[in-house]
Amino acid sequence: MDFQLTDEQRDIRDTARAFVTRELLPLEEDFLRSGAARLPREQERSLQAKARKFGFWGMSAPERYGGMALPALTQSLIHIEVARTCVPFRFGGEADNILYGADAAQQEEYLLPTIEGRRLGCFALTEPGAGSDAAAIRTSARRDGADWVINGQKTFISNGDDADYAIVIAVTDRDARHGSTAFLVDRDAGWTSTPIPTMGSWHQPATLFFDQVRVPAGKVLGDVGAGFDLAKRWIGKGRHVISAHCVGIAERCLRMAVDYANLRETFGRKIGANQAVQWMIADSETELEAARWLALRAAWDVDRGADARHSVAMAKLFCCQMVGRVVDRALQIHGGMGYSKELPLEGWYRAVRAMRIFEGTDEIQRLILSRDLLRGFTRIGGHLA
Amino acid sequence: MNIVVCVKQVPDTATERKLRSDDKTLDRDAADGVINELCEYAVEEALRLKEAHGGEVTVLTMGPDKATDTIRKALAMGADKAVHLVDPALHGSDALSTSYALAQTLKKIGFDLVILGSESTDARTGMLAAMLAERLGTPQLTLANKVEISGAGITVQRVTDYGFDKVEASLPAIVSVVEKINEPRYPSFKGIMAAKKKQVQTFGIADAEIDAAQVGVANAWSEVADFAVAPPRAAGTVVKDEGDGGVKTADYLASKKFI
Ligand SMILES: Cc1cc2nc3c(=O)[nH]c(=O)nc-3n(C[C@H](O)[C@H](O)[C@H](O)COP(=O)(O)OP(=O)(O)OC[C@H]3O[C@@H](n4cnc5c(N)ncnc54)[C@H](O)[C@@H]3O)c2cc1C
Repeated sequence: MDFQLTDEQRDIRDTARAFVTRELLPLEEDFLRSGAARLPREQERSLQAKARKFGFWGMSAPERYGGMALPALTQSLIHIEVARTCVPFRFGGEADNILYGADAAQQEEYLLPTIEGRRLGCFALTEPGAGSDAAAIRTSARRDGADWVINGQKTFISNGDDADYAIVIAVTDRDARHGSTAFLVDRDAGWTSTPIPTMGSWHQPATLFFDQVRVPAGKVLGDVGAGFDLAKRWIGKGRHVISAHCVGIAERCLRMAVDYANLRETFGRKIGANQAVQWMIADSETELEAARWLALRAAWDVDRGADARHSVAMAKLFCCQMVGRVVDRALQIHGGMGYSKELPLEGWYRAVRAMRIFEGTDEIQRLILSRDLLRGFTRIGGHLA
Repeated sequence: MNIVVCVKQVPDTATERKLRSDDKTLDRDAADGVINELCEYAVEEALRLKEAHGGEVTVLTMGPDKATDTIRKALAMGADKAVHLVDPALHGSDALSTSYALAQTLKKIGFDLVILGSESTDARTGMLAAMLAERLGTPQLTLANKVEISGAGITVQRVTDYGFDKVEASLPAIVSVVEKINEPRYPSFKGIMAAKKKQVQTFGIADAEIDAAQVGVANAWSEVADFAVAPPRAAGTVVKDEGDGGVKTADYLASKKFI
């Protein structure tokens, strides 16, 4: 067994690292001082354009859309690097996975402009009465002549207040097992939104209101009745990335904790000379390392075309909890400084909490894992056992 | 135009750097090796000159096996090929013998222009460009923040304490660059993939006709006599200004023999 990255993987990671070090880390201080949730869109787009020049563009997008369709593992390595800074940034050229299921006309109208950064979409599944139990959604789409009329509410939708279109999953046949359908709905069609203030400043979610919103038949994404299948097929595809994100944040926090433990003195010696602090550092590294291998292994499963749901669930469950513990310890080691808004720690402390909730809560990941085992869908130890 | 860029692998400045206890040379295994930052500017300048005037960019590195990482990085940025000078006999060479080994190699591979970073982050002697020029009998144009080529002539803007000098010479020549000269490009995806297929020639000391008696730790002209970990910073002296702050400060500096 070889735990090394290939030369190519290392070189790509190093380039991503250099970009983060040169372009993003210097923005951190001002960004923290501004208290903003994100970079101004113009600034983000110009950084994306700069990265595009050396090919960091469309990491997950298929080649025919100008993307690179990078292996999941390489993408994970890049996400780890980008997550090291609290300045929210993603390389450009990407769209919600589900849009790759769009027909030619829809691709022209939604997919391509989204990839180019000219349009911003959001994915709207969750409702006030349906989160983990997504099948309980009530938002409905009713046929009216050649059109569909949508009524209902979506909530906790990331980018929901900024998006100019929404991918909406709505019930089209209340009695059928496959009774939900995905729609592409422009804001111009009449839906409204209000932001939901949350604990963290990332992902600023919003509630979306649909009151007699009329869309033509051409706005059905995929087939009528195939809403959940489509959602399941595409959304799970990007989930391993969340674990990589956790690894990147934790790595940076631990680095900060180690540096501070070597710097800060109390009672005439470095705080790192105390076992209490040493143990926090040791536990953090051990958990971080375990998380890294779970995250990369899940990505590797995706790359080899195996059913990755099990390993992705394990990685998400562990990584999202791990990052919470590591940020917490790093903050503790920094004392009052950790609590201040001068450092990114307090922001991360709040932000990472969401990771245990969206894209399947901890409990839902456990549900998947235990069900797979109890019903004999997976073997203990997977491919290594 | 045949441009050779000398690049060096140095220990990552972000990690702890150590000297070996046995021969007091840099412990190159202890830290991650990265391309010396100023060398990236040198590579960038070479690529820009090539893009403007045509020709070929060759990367030359002297260093242990793992310096191939640094070669790959320069190739990924866009250099055409590389020469890796690697030989156990070269271990521990000082600046003077390094300049000899590189000069011998440069004679073998030929050049119109050699570009270097003005210093490396590990040794920081900043002497290599001058030594190479002397050994090769070519003009040296050091500390350049601008390079222009016209025909067989080269003009650089040389950074000085008071502004800059304009220095002209004829090719072949040796140029060292400072970081103000450009903004190094990132290796592109395409470049990273292409780098694997580019030619890397390995030279031992025999290939470059390097005399073993003039290189290595045993033949170095400079020697690290001893080293110690820097003592922790002591508490500073606070001068309270009660109308005589200037005098007190001057007395303090004089007592420390600064003035
Ligand atoms: C910042 C943020 C961004 C989001 N972005 C989006 C988005 O872009 N699009 C979108 O559609 N949604 C989004 N969501 C919604 C998110 O997917 C849901 O919040 C999540 O699925 C949980 O649903 P819920 O909040 O309704 O909680 P519930 O499903 O009501 O769960 C409440 C609690 O009960 C537990 N629970 C539920 N069922 C079980 C069970 N069977 N066994 C054991 N425990 C159970 C849950 O784990 C949880 O702890 C976002 C949420 C947040 C916080």
